[in-house]
Amino acid sequence: MSRAACPPFLMQRLRWAMLRNALRTLFSRSLVRPLTVVLITLLIATLVFLGSAEGFRFLDQDAHVPLDGQIIGVLLDLLFRALGVLLLFSGGLILYGSLFTAPETTFLLATPLHDGRIFACKFQGATAVSAWAFALLGGPILVAYGVARAAPWTYYALLPPFFLSFVLLPASLAAVIVVLTVNVWPRRRITVLTLGVAVVGALGGYWVYQILHEARGGGDGQEAVNRILGHFTFSGAELAPDHWAARGLMDAAAGDVLGSLEKLGLIAITSLFGYLIAEFTARLLYRRGCDRLATGGPARRRPGGAWMDAALTAGLPFVSGRTRLLIVKDFRTFRRDPRQWAQVLIFTVLVTFSIMAGRRVFAVDIGPTYQSLVSWLHLGVVGLLICIYTGRFVFPLLSLEGRKFWILGLLPVDRGQLLWGKFAFASAGALLIGEFLVLLSDMTLEMPWPAVLLHVLTVIVLALGLSGLSVGMGACLPSFRETDPSRIVSGFGGTMNLLAGLLFLLAVLTLTAGPWHLLAASRLEDDGTAAWAVLIGAAMGVALGAAAVVVPLRMGIRALRRMEF
Amino acid sequence: MISLDKVTKRYGPRTAVDGLTLEIPAGELFAFLGPNGAGKTTTIKMLCGLLFPTSGTVRVGGFDLRTDGGRARELLSYVPDQPFLYEKLTGREFLQFIADMYGLSRDHGRRRVAEAIELFQLAEFVDDLTERYSHGMRQRTVFAAALVHEPKVLIVDEPTVGLDPRSVRQLKDLLRRQADGGVTVFLSSHSLDVVEELADRIGIVDRGRLIGCGTLEALRRQAAVDGSLEDVFLKLTEPGDEPAAAAQGGTPP
Repeated sequence: MSRAACPPFLMQRLRWAMLRNALRTLFSRSLVRPLTVVLITLLIATLVFLGSAEGFRFLDQDAHVPLDGQIIGVLLDLLFRALGVLLLFSGGLILYGSLFTAPETTFLLATPLHDGRIFACKFQGATAVSAWAFALLGGPILVAYGVARAAPWTYYALLPPFFLSFVLLPASLAAVIVVLTVNVWPRRRITVLTLGVAVVGALGGYWVYQILHEARGGGDGQEAVNRILGHFTFSGAELAPDHWAARGLMDAAAGDVLGSLEKLGLIAITSLFGYLIAEFTARLLYRRGCDRLATGGPARRRPGGAWMDAALTAGLPFVSGRTRLLIVKDFRTFRRDPRQWAQVLIFTVLVTFSIMAGRRVFAVDIGPTYQSLVSWLHLGVVGLLICIYTGRFVFPLLSLEGRKFWILGLLPVDRGQLLWGKFAFASAGALLIGEFLVLLSDMTLEMPWPAVLLHVLTVIVLALGLSGLSVGMGACLPSFRETDPSRIVSGFGGTMNLLAGLLFLLAVLTLTAGPWHLLAASRLEDDGTAAWAVLIGAAMGVALGAAAVVVPLRMGIRALRRMEF
Repeated sequence: MISLDKVTKRYGPRTAVDGLTLEIPAGELFAFLGPNGAGKTTTIKMLCGLLFPTSGTVRVGGFDLRTDGGRARELLSYVPDQPFLYEKLTGREFLQFIADMYGLSRDHGRRRVAEAIELFQLAEFVDDLTERYSHGMRQRTVFAAALVHEPKVLIVDEPTVGLDPRSVRQLKDLLRRQADGGVTVFLSSHSLDVVEELADRIGIVDRGRLIGCGTLEALRRQAAVDGSLEDVFLKLTEPGDEPAAAAQGGTPP
């Protein structure tokens, strides 16, 4: 037998062949799906671009903040730092799933393929998926910055290499953390993950506290601004890659190509070094980690948390017995999958910090106008969180039943009941998180009671409406072949659901809470018309919410009843 | 070709495989039997390097799976009970990928893929995406992929599940031919009739320990039963009996 070395780029060629085949299948059916995905992506990117362009214009022309100054530098630092933290978490979660739980991994580990190559292949996939949101959000913001500064073409040419170099670093760090955690604490990895989030949150909280302490300290304006900026440029920012990325792009926007390339080189070298460490760690510990994960605990795992199921069951006396069983089943599946609840936890913690920070920053001398706008903004952020929760976790619920769907299909329950069960589960979770956050925001901002009532109502409409949309569309556009929720979400149905959810969110925010906030912000005298505007807006919002529950669920139930399996 | 020396594997406090010693020479078709949870899959995973023994040594072709796993895995093919196929590849692309991964030269790889397609009668569907394959088509493709690089050791876990009688017949002929051609076949199955017909030697494992190993005749003598393999198996794995150490220590006669 003549044997050669395993050819280079074997896994890349495999991925390319799979992508080519998937695209061929996609285009051979109908152009509606791929075109819709492309158009929606362009729409989101355009909206982010327009919003950012307006922001930079405001800073430049109205607030007279120099676009090449320290404040913009700090904002760009923060942008890269925030995206870096998100990449660290999302990359870590995706990498954990693809390295340790995917069926392909077991197949590849039984072949002579080197552990480092398996890791590299999985690392590239996870980084590409997690960097997608990074590119979609960060790209338009940075292009808008270039446009605002009338940057030369070299700036735009340097954007992709800066992106690629930067994303490698948090992804590599995430890989090292994942591989080490699985090796050192195979049984306690969930606890370690939770503690890690808590530590990062505590550090973030302390940092915010420090800034706010300075902000409330008063003193000379310029001095106070300098002190606050000092906190934003903490931890020896000169040595931080997010700082290099921000300053490198500012240099490029100013036409200083050499200065920009110097910083790009620094990021690229650091990222590649980070990747080398990650790959070295994987070569040593990846296969051992798989072994530890499989055998680090008792073979028969007895999951705890039965009290949570009992509490949920007791809390749903108004739901029929069978529907209650289905809700508890979905809840059990959700809470036993850390990849799902950890993301909800991370987003909730981030939004909580954002709310707390908003209150502190504007607490001193906050006028009713800003108070109203900030609370409306918080409501929007809470709505966006619910939209992400329903789009990311609720929409794939039915698809994830997948090949096991026959179990549910054969149950002696009406198929409509299945969807109502999923709707009840989804809306209960969305309501709990949404109401907690919006009440926290209103209490910290000391909002008047009519606003609090409107916000509570808005969250109810959003939670029920977005849940109805996601459950209904999940049944109309299921993807039973996929087992990975992130792939279901990024498919045609998931994208359509996200778009519908965002439009619904925008409409409800405008109708239900919009009139009150606009009146409060403009500080008009109430001549009776204003109250009517608020009431009519709220009524229209409620009607829209009811439609978002009833129409998609009826369509979904009809589709589910016709479904063959 | 396959050597397990005092192999123990623990899952936390529970021992899945307990001091397993086994020698399987080249060209032998060895059947590995045991009740559910006896440690069969754990043993197979250690043979493939997917799990490491807590103590003891596992060798394939003389290579220690822990220290020289890559070399050992070059020699073997593993067909799990739920085999993996890339859904977005055609059968031919999958076979070519396997040939490339095992370092077969371009020409040799193409020739082997063509032979496998002919041997397993895949021509009709081999250029379709595997996501459209039926269970039988998937199983044939997986076996074709397992043999495309001419392994020295073939490890097969429950290969007959879901196959029609003709396919089972073809599979039995294939496994026998492989063993006769010098390939060591390690077959784990609950289909006792298949094992009885095919196996050169049979190992029975219960609660992690090898409680019987040898030809069917030897096992009959050990169990003091003059019946089918089913009778022998049920006698040796009777509930309540403490598993006894293997009379022959898992070494070939």
